Amino acid sequence: MVSDVNECGLSLTQAKQTRVLMVGAGGIGCELLKNLVLTGFREVHIVDLDTIDLSNLNRQFLFRHEHIKKSKALVAKEAAQRFNPNVEIVAHHANIKDAEFNIEWFSSFAIVFNALDNLEARRHVNKMCLAADVPLIDSGTTGYNGQVMVIKKGVTACYDCSYKETPKSFPVCTIRSTPSQPIHCIVWGKSYLLNEIFGTSEDESAFDHSADGENANEIAELRRESAALRYIRESVGTEQFAQMLFDKVFNTDIVRLRSMEDMWKSRKPPEPLDYRALMENSSEAIDAKESVLKDDQKVWSLEENLVVFNDSLGRLSKRIIDMKANQNGTGPSPIITFDKDDEDTLDFVAASANIRSSLFGIDRKSKFDIKQMAGNIIPAIATTNAIVAGLCVLESFKVLRGEYDQAKEVYLTPFMPARLLGIDRPRKPNPDCPVCSVFQTRVYVDLSRATLNDLVEDFLKLELGYGHKEISVSNEVGILYDPDETDNLGKKLSELGIKQDSFLTVTDEDDDETYVNVVIAIQEAKEPSGDKPIKSVDSDGLKIPMKPKKETPVPEANGHQNGVGKRAHDGAPLETTLAKRPHPDDSAEATLTKKARIAAGVSADDGVVVIGDGARGGAIVIEDDGAILIDD
Amino acid sequence: MAATTTLPIMPQQVGTNGSVSMPQPSDGISADEIALYDRQIRLWGMKAQEKIRNANILIITMKALANEIAKNLVLAGIGSLTVVDHEIVTEADLGAQFFLEDQHVGTNRAVAASAAIQRLNPRVKVTVDTSNIRDKPPSYFSQFDVVIATDLDSQTLNIINTAVRIYKRAFYAAGSHGMYGFIFADLVEHDFVIERAKSNVATALGPETATRSVVAVAPKKDDPRTELVTKRELYSTWFLASDCANLPAEVLRGPRRRKAVTPVLSCLRALWDFTITYGAPPNANNHADLAQFTRLCGEKHKQLGLPAETLRSEVLRSFLQNIGAEVAPVTAVLGGQLAQDVIIVLGQTQQPIQNFVIFDGGAMEATIYALHPDGLLGEAQLVTAPMQSSNGAAEQGAAGPFVFGATPVDVSQAGQFA
Repeated sequence: MVSDVNECGLSLTQAKQTRVLMVGAGGIGCELLKNLVLTGFREVHIVDLDTIDLSNLNRQFLFRHEHIKKSKALVAKEAAQRFNPNVEIVAHHANIKDAEFNIEWFSSFAIVFNALDNLEARRHVNKMCLAADVPLIDSGTTGYNGQVMVIKKGVTACYDCSYKETPKSFPVCTIRSTPSQPIHCIVWGKSYLLNEIFGTSEDESAFDHSADGENANEIAELRRESAALRYIRESVGTEQFAQMLFDKVFNTDIVRLRSMEDMWKSRKPPEPLDYRALMENSSEAIDAKESVLKDDQKVWSLEENLVVFNDSLGRLSKRIIDMKANQNGTGPSPIITFDKDDEDTLDFVAASANIRSSLFGIDRKSKFDIKQMAGNIIPAIATTNAIVAGLCVLESFKVLRGEYDQAKEVYLTPFMPARLLGIDRPRKPNPDCPVCSVFQTRVYVDLSRATLNDLVEDFLKLELGYGHKEISVSNEVGILYDPDETDNLGKKLSELGIKQDSFLTVTDEDDDETYVNVVIAIQEAKEPSGDKPIKSVDSDGLKIPMKPKKETPVPEANGHQNGVGKRAHDGAPLETTLAKRPHPDDSAEATLTKKARIAAGVSADDGVVVIGDGARGGAIVIEDDGAILIDD
Repeated sequence: MAATTTLPIMPQQVGTNGSVSMPQPSDGISADEIALYDRQIRLWGMKAQEKIRNANILIITMKALANEIAKNLVLAGIGSLTVVDHEIVTEADLGAQFFLEDQHVGTNRAVAASAAIQRLNPRVKVTVDTSNIRDKPPSYFSQFDVVIATDLDSQTLNIINTAVRIYKRAFYAAGSHGMYGFIFADLVEHDFVIERAKSNVATALGPETATRSVVAVAPKKDDPRTELVTKRELYSTWFLASDCANLPAEVLRGPRRRKAVTPVLSCLRALWDFTITYGAPPNANNHADLAQFTRLCGEKHKQLGLPAETLRSEVLRSFLQNIGAEVAPVTAVLGGQLAQDVIIVLGQTQQPIQNFVIFDGGAMEATIYALHPDGLLGEAQLVTAPMQSSNGAAEQGAAGPFVFGATPVDVSQAGQFA
């Protein structure tokens, strides 16, 4: 029997020969790097594209005030090197999704640690580790909660094996006509009003249009209202602008809403406001303007909100006029988008939301609280990160010894009377997981001449053995080939945007004797490849497994008695591109919308609104593009 | 078990040198501080942050576990941190102690760590003290809101706990041994207020568990649907909890529950006892030590009412080989949990640890056991019972240099130590 200390000693010895990667140098990352360096891992690589912010310093202990705006990865390396000069630390101030971090690079590490705050990057690393067959230790924290899991291809469940909750968005009518909670008014201020006046236009991603049909008349009316608002936008910078805008959204539109009697049968109708009357009552608030603006803990009175509304509107108007002037009339019109750290936009959204709340008899909120709701701020503390990072390294000892049966899924159970940690055996891979249930393989491709036809006819049908089966080939953009979509066959793969380290998914369309999806990683052939432009990297005969026979889906049983709440943040829909054959139009449209939004410079903070797990009295979390922020 | 002696509390008679701590004036949290602490204020609120900001905390022994605790508390923005350690940095300290660098070897451990601690947060007042904690008079402890004693022997913990208790301050003890560790809390009597939605059934005053009771219920101001429930936890001293106290009845009820109790608890009790008797922890390579330690473990295990088969020889061997080792990720977990409990205790809105956590870093278990003697708890237990360990350590203790705490302490005598 090997004793623990020997196992631990063995782990420490193994660590000294081990090269590991840590993705993310934020809340968990700083703590993790300290532990890795003290444990004596031979070489630690850090990847993080973020820079240091004041609000990081309460927990990211490798950073100090003088490091603000500097690279997290580089500063973390400098600070942690002092803990142990014998460890080689390599810092990459870069995005983990960059092309340099390819499968081959991932496979050069013995273990990868995820210390990330967003779903998109966590998914990417999960996928890369599966492709490279490198064990991954994933972790996350939010407030007092946190969890750690070990992911090993074919042995334990991967990050995407469990369903990630879909963020909830609000129906248009709730936001525009019948708000009942502060968040409804905050979304109105941020995604509607601010965008109509200073942005591109209504931020559609914030709204759920599924119920539009039932409210067709109201929707049409709302469209007219938006159009009228865009007209007012022309008066930006004039003296009457604030009153024009106020009268429009807090009086005219409200009067119209009130006239819709059906709407107010079971609700209290909103009360329109009179700008002049309110201004007359605001002299005290106007005098106290400077102290009001500074007090973000106080719930401002209606008059104080009016003062902030006027003041922030003035600041934003001046800014957009200056932006236009600097542009000399060339290029697209400048826009201002919401950023929680941009005081002008935050003040405007806070004041607008609060004035609207007042009309509808909804509680007003402090600027501090509104910043959290509008800016997707997840509370984060040093202790949770320290605990979780410690657990990550303890799990890595088991991975080093190859003892996956000893690995645990661990989550924190704050304030529980019997224990501080909850543990589960690692779950088995989900056979229906769109990410890890696939068969992965790599091919060498001569990108100068290989066509899609070479791939489909030569490689897939002959070499991989699909034969006469109906198949489709897709990438992250959409379908490239299926029996009805043959236009691309003659094109070179390079013309279809396929390059080194691109992934292609092959889906078997037959209903029975179905092969699992195959994911092909493209490797550029280093030397001319003779006769065939596409060759398998794996020389052995490839055998694609069959999909298991369909059974009634079993609800996910991962045994988390207490794990429900904390996992609620881990929410986003599974990628449909791999889960099922996407409709080409859907997929293309989704990509286009996304691209368009990026091109238009829409801030990443704009997004879908979800209701959190209620741990903080129904805290609202705004998710950016389905990404979650667990700890930045 | 020895009877508990109860004496009236006379705080006005102690600390005659005027060292009784006064509430510090709070001049309000500045906008800069709010920006710095933004992400945590969003979790525990401004009121808790103000309490944290006014807290004076003492940490005794600055090794790997204390490094973690100090880091977490200083980052959170406590008022002051005092570090007491009389020992010198050795090569072995460099392994898991991140405040230290090569050039610190040979210098005082508290002094060596202090500059790095201060750099974590310039707003916190950091003080170092290179004297031996055993030389401090009881009144010394009255200036702190929380006293955290790490990596010390059981007898010293007993002395410190007794002194801290006189002033009704919060006391924590913690230690790590390689992959294993523990946290102990003696908060004497701790009140906290839970905010919750009112149920249809009125919340009754009275006991909820053997140690906790509801002492007040009030509706929340401006929100009649929410109620504020004040709960009180009663604690025991290190002396009573660390050795003779029983496991809670609900743990002992069924054979399955008894089997689930970690044998690390028995091992820790044996270690504390062994060290009192022999003045040093057992040496894993010494046969006599091994035999004696094994015997003690069996005794403690039986005393706890646990089945013999859960104290397997490989557990014992593993524990022995871990004694004295520092493993960074283990100290990170323990130090994180302890610091978090201190913050929770200061904030007074959540249930804190009651009263022992036993950590096993291989099994990933951090189980909480409420270990208390029969009879009086909380303030009623203000003074320790005579030290009378199963192996006759009382004589050892009384003969040792640390008289205080080894015999019943009359509060009125406390002045003689000042």
